[in-house]
Amino acid sequence: MDMKKVRKEKFADFLATLAEQKLYAPQKVGESLRFAPVTDSGKVELEMSNTTVPPKSVFFPQTETLYRYEVGNTEIQQPAMGGVDIVLGVRPCDARAQVIVDSLFGWDYNDPYYQERRKATVVGLACNKPCVNCFCLSLGGGPASTVGLDLLMTDLGDAYLLQPLTEKGEKLLALAGETVETAAAGDREAAESLHGQAEQMITRKVETAGVAEKLPGLWEHSLWQETANSCLGCGICTFLCPTCHCFDIQDEVEGLEGRRCRMWDSCMFKEYTLHASGHNPRPTRRERTRNRINHKYSYFVQKFGHTACVGCGRCINYCPVNIDLVEILRQVKEAL
Amino acid sequence: MVNVDKLKEIARETISRDDVKYLIGWRQGTYGFRAAPYFMSTPEEAEELIFSPLCTNNLATYLTLAEKLPVPRGQEPDSRKVALLVKGCDSRAVVQQLVEQGISRERVLVIGCPCRGVIDQKKVEAKFPDVREAVSAVWDGDTVVFNLPGGSVAVPRQEVLAGKCLTCRYPNPVIADVTVWEEVAVWGSDDYVDVRELEAGSPQQRWGFWEEKFASCMRCYSCRNVCPMCYCEDCVLDRLNPQWIMRSVNTAENTAFHLARAFHLAGRCIECGECERVCPVDIPLMKLNRKLTKEVRDKYAYEPGVDPEAKPLQASYRPDDKEDFIL
Repeated sequence: MDMKKVRKEKFADFLATLAEQKLYAPQKVGESLRFAPVTDSGKVELEMSNTTVPPKSVFFPQTETLYRYEVGNTEIQQPAMGGVDIVLGVRPCDARAQVIVDSLFGWDYNDPYYQERRKATVVGLACNKPCVNCFCLSLGGGPASTVGLDLLMTDLGDAYLLQPLTEKGEKLLALAGETVETAAAGDREAAESLHGQAEQMITRKVETAGVAEKLPGLWEHSLWQETANSCLGCGICTFLCPTCHCFDIQDEVEGLEGRRCRMWDSCMFKEYTLHASGHNPRPTRRERTRNRINHKYSYFVQKFGHTACVGCGRCINYCPVNIDLVEILRQVKEAL
Repeated sequence: MVNVDKLKEIARETISRDDVKYLIGWRQGTYGFRAAPYFMSTPEEAEELIFSPLCTNNLATYLTLAEKLPVPRGQEPDSRKVALLVKGCDSRAVVQQLVEQGISRERVLVIGCPCRGVIDQKKVEAKFPDVREAVSAVWDGDTVVFNLPGGSVAVPRQEVLAGKCLTCRYPNPVIADVTVWEEVAVWGSDDYVDVRELEAGSPQQRWGFWEEKFASCMRCYSCRNVCPMCYCEDCVLDRLNPQWIMRSVNTAENTAFHLARAFHLAGRCIECGECERVCPVDIPLMKLNRKLTKEVRDKYAYEPGVDPEAKPLQASYRPDDKEDFIL
């Protein structure tokens, strides 16, 4: 497939060719960066390390109305599904994470809300400058990984190289018309060199081999209590994780109008496993911390064949008490 | 002068006592300009203790955050003390918890560390981006010295200290069983410039300011969980019946959450600033809390967390109060 490039001065025009479609891209919301519908191409923020909130929030919104009803009436109204055509500016780690989440939402029940949005074209943005806590290389990814992407953009300084990877990616480029031009051989080499340099910058590493098999044997190990001691039990690590996908379903009724919603939930919350009887099988943060690591590095591996972590580093970057996943995995490896 | 060797010595003595369960302090973090809360239970572990401009976390929150499982039949509950390192601001949380009877005095051993101000991690990372290695720091006169991989760099305190430290009036612990080194001279004063700036705006401007901030909230509850004064066992946010605040994340419910929390902190917030520090989407929560602190100060001449003998503001009553506002 032919590579194209778009000069930065033409980038707004390039985005304008997609104006007919529902486009999501990183933008500042309050003081944070997250994916939001593009209404003004000037607000699209691609000069970033990564968004605070991963693009899972587009495919799997934090709060989603599944249907509406009127109290006393058995009819339900389903909201329109879809609403996403293109998601642009996705870092390769987050694109891989979405493929991991796909295994859950397409497993015992094919979730129509999620699947409809997953039809969107995903445009990736290679990392020229990984963050200090990135460890994607250890999990089979990389700063220019193409898994889960339809098109990969690489920032060449004055232009973005556009590498189509699927038919959907080709289609998007066909729409772009005159705003893009054919990439020269030098552009491709420049991009490859940038990808190589970015890999060199990633210094954090974890060894995942054998972890899934070892974790069940460490059930009563002291490392869980030691980690949980400082844990606040907040939802930062799970909400900002691009692979965490747990949700709660609640009915919210105002007057006679009701809606059944699903919203992100977190295994780090006490209420997450609280039974109606009052019993809680994960009564303290020790059990909840243990579950977070086991779910990512053991249960998910056993069920779906891959780790539910892509090494994006968000849980480390944002943890208020410096609980460090790389450090926990090192302790798991060393534990006897 | 900060003397970490003396701190380690006191920690070793403390943890060797039979009536102390564990000691909570700080140690160097795993990367960059981070310190991490450190729970130690043996004298040997004291070697890792630090006290430096990196020690931002208010450890007093762990006094009320500790989860207690039911004691098995035939066993006695563990009534040993928890030893806690505190900066000046942290110590105010201990006082307020005592005032509210959230903790009992005989269960806590307070080790006071007079402090010269801690860093704002974001300010430091803006100055020294992409530092992967763990960097230690020390106070030196009017500077903070960072021991970067390429060599030490001194930065004026004004440029790297957290905002709360620049106006700090309580650098010395207001309660302590032992104070590790001599007290420092108070450098700050606080006339609520940040609150006044916001108050100057019209109601529309003020709502515009907060609406955008609240809209970005994810309801991860890190602000509540890190708060040493948010320790209700049954938090109004977690209630399902009645459900005062819905779990849907939208501007209306998020606003209800933040305002409910702010009101519950009126006359209780000791301004450690932890809520604002930990917020992953940078909501300036201290502007909200400090607005109420200012109201409480102006209307009731009350300051929480400074006097262990004080009565809680919302639970005190004066018979000679005229109450002429009622009629």
